[in-house]
Amino acid sequence: MARSYLFIPGDVPRMLQNMDVFDADALIVDFEDAIADTAKDEARDLTRAFLTKHGKNVPPLYIRINAVDTSAFATDVASLPTDVAGVVLPKTDLNALARFRATHEEMKKAPPKIIALIETPRALFDVLAIADDPLVVGLMLGGEDLTSAIGAERTAARTEIATARGLIVLAAAAAEIDAIDTPYPVVDDITGLMRDIDQSRAFGFDAKACIHPNHVDAINRAFVPSATAIDEAERIVAMHEKTKSMRFSLDGKMVDKPIITRAKALLKRAKQGADDA
Amino acid sequence: MKTTTDIAAIFDDFNVKDGASISFHHHLRNGDAVQNHVLDEARRRKLKNLRLYPSAVFPVHRVLKTLLEEGAVASLTTNYLNGPVAEYFAKEASGDILRMQSHGGRARAVIEGDNPIDIAFVAAPAVDAQKNASGLEGPAACGSLGYAMEDVKHAKHVVLVTDTLVDHLENPQIDGTDVDAVLVLDSIGDPKGITSGTLSLTRDPIGMKIARSAMRLLDALGVIKEGFSFQSGAGGVSLRVVDMLNEKMTRDRIHASFFSGGITGHHVKMLEAGLVETLYDVQCFDLEAIASLRRNASHIAISADRYANPNNPDRVIADLDCVILGATEIDLDFNVNVTTDSHNTIIGGSGGHSDTAEDAKLSLIVTPLIKGRIPVIKERVTTITTPGKTVDVLITERGIAINPARQGIIETAQKAGLHVDTIEGLMAIAHTLTGVPASTARKTHPIGFVESRRGERLDTLHAKE
Amino acid sequence: MKTIVVGSLESSDCLITLTPASETTIDIESVVYDAFGDQIRAVIEAVLSRHHLDDVHIRCQDKGALDYAIEARLETAIRRYKEANHGS
Repeated sequence: MARSYLFIPGDVPRMLQNMDVFDADALIVDFEDAIADTAKDEARDLTRAFLTKHGKNVPPLYIRINAVDTSAFATDVASLPTDVAGVVLPKTDLNALARFRATHEEMKKAPPKIIALIETPRALFDVLAIADDPLVVGLMLGGEDLTSAIGAERTAARTEIATARGLIVLAAAAAEIDAIDTPYPVVDDITGLMRDIDQSRAFGFDAKACIHPNHVDAINRAFVPSATAIDEAERIVAMHEKTKSMRFSLDGKMVDKPIITRAKALLKRAKQGADDA
Repeated sequence: MKTTTDIAAIFDDFNVKDGASISFHHHLRNGDAVQNHVLDEARRRKLKNLRLYPSAVFPVHRVLKTLLEEGAVASLTTNYLNGPVAEYFAKEASGDILRMQSHGGRARAVIEGDNPIDIAFVAAPAVDAQKNASGLEGPAACGSLGYAMEDVKHAKHVVLVTDTLVDHLENPQIDGTDVDAVLVLDSIGDPKGITSGTLSLTRDPIGMKIARSAMRLLDALGVIKEGFSFQSGAGGVSLRVVDMLNEKMTRDRIHASFFSGGITGHHVKMLEAGLVETLYDVQCFDLEAIASLRRNASHIAISADRYANPNNPDRVIADLDCVILGATEIDLDFNVNVTTDSHNTIIGGSGGHSDTAEDAKLSLIVTPLIKGRIPVIKERVTTITTPGKTVDVLITERGIAINPARQGIIETAQKAGLHVDTIEGLMAIAHTLTGVPASTARKTHPIGFVESRRGERLDTLHAKE
Repeated sequence: MKTIVVGSLESSDCLITLTPASETTIDIESVVYDAFGDQIRAVIEAVLSRHHLDDVHIRCQDKGALDYAIEARLETAIRRYKEANHGS
């Protein structure tokens, strides 16, 4: 379970070849917004050459391909490197998922796993159906595009994306996939980043995306459970293993299946945090 | 003689002639006008066989290059060197005349007579009627005069060079009883070249990663505890570590006993927040440091002797818990080069590098593993500045390597869950990315040598081609 | 006949320029020429051997790019060059 997803532009060698040093749990190589229309082929060639030669030890890697209604989409699908964890699909909605499948069928290719980028108003009304699609392994909020689409402006309180955040977390939880919050867009505003991370946590996101390596550390720290929480989770899991029971009482509080599941997930996250140190 | 505006009179009165030993300090750094002014006079007089002891040489020092080209220099002894003089040694040098010392080594050599100085020309930003001097006043204020202090005490003749005469200085750094004459110029230096603007913390993600790793190691080794002492250079990564220390010490209410070395506004901020008790300042790097030295009694200017002389038992760095240093190259024996590039061109020098690496309980080298496709780890460094036996840890963006002689550090780091590699392992990782570089250093004729802080010959310096 | 330019002069990148010529020639300028000049030439020649090109001048202005980046920049350039000049 990844805490941080770092976007890396697909046509910048210095970023690509250092992608594994930034401590991100997962990486997203961008072929979409960060790449000019005239440079899509450069990004594809560079990324493929990098992965062929140096891709063995990089963290789980997704590629943000271009949206299904763009001219770059078909080439992205046809030339997708085989060893990636999946794709991030821009402007995912039910139509986009259908076209994604159809394109793969036409090319006789097995479709990769999808992190669905939820960034259109329509997608939010189908968000549970999107989450339930077997190809979709995560929902990611695209806060900037969504804010533009509804004609709002970005506020410090992020009121304009509050509903979207809530819906995405609920749908992901219902479908038992990861909910990944939108990146904080201001690179040098670490105070704003911390506030934004607090909101991500409060909404219940599992992870957060970021557009700059210097945001990774703060995200990893925030999504690592506290010592108290780890201690409680360890005792819950220990009691569960000892009693083989899915329902027991600990410190006067009732523990049942979701609490045990959450405790296990928390310990997994905590272990990841310790491995980074 | 007392005070004059005429450099010729000084040369006449103190009989500066062929074979003279002349020293300078480098507190005015790349703004210094004093060395050029003095050496211009030596050139006018066509003096030969000069023995020069500038504590450092910067790009502004063009007259020195001309004197070298004219064959007027018998020896040049310095702690740091770049700019046109470095180009001269790379391209045109003939003769084995360059001696590169450390800050502590130079202080020792001046005191013990290894650097015999006939006349010290001491850039002095302000001088009073008693010939006392201070670096805190005047248009060329530079703060600490640490690297001039031994010259003032031990040179046969001491000439202060100033552009600012005042009636009386409170707490002067140089005592007028040691001074033979004062030379007054219109300007001794360009403030723009003396101090840097605000020295910036690195934002580069690779530099940030290295700084975070350094902090994790310091944490694991328990270095950051009440009363600890610390020094770092003024590079972007080192200053980022200082900033992270600030954050952690503020959060955990930890106080340091002292920071030493070159001082910046980032150090001053921590002094003023009560996070560190004392700053021992041998050189001010920015205006905030100078202003703080002026107003804060806990910010103390120290001499190079007090700072780092290996034969001074009271030297500040003998009590140093941790120093963070850079590297141009480092080799499999942990030898560090900050003196030359891989083509033998001189790009700097020890400064306090070898002094602090040896004295500090823990010496960390922070550097990117790869700089523009060139792996920083070599089988053998081009030039040894700092012997590997004094270097404890290398920290790069792709892992840390600990000197195998420091088993205790290795065990503690591993127990704390840090990923520790061997230095051979890190070199192999670099080569996987870059390929193995063709070996480039061809041994050419010697131009001089690097000297250890105790005066032993550490390594030979060679011309470029 | 068109000139093709791919890549950049940013650190760790290279700028590849392909110009029509009577025979294939390679011109390398690199900040790390002493250490990696031979290796850069070998990478360029290996890519060329995969394509049928005997009429192009290749200029590689290298800012410390790793082999994969030089290879990728050149592949992109050759594909664009063929599309522009041979209509294939």
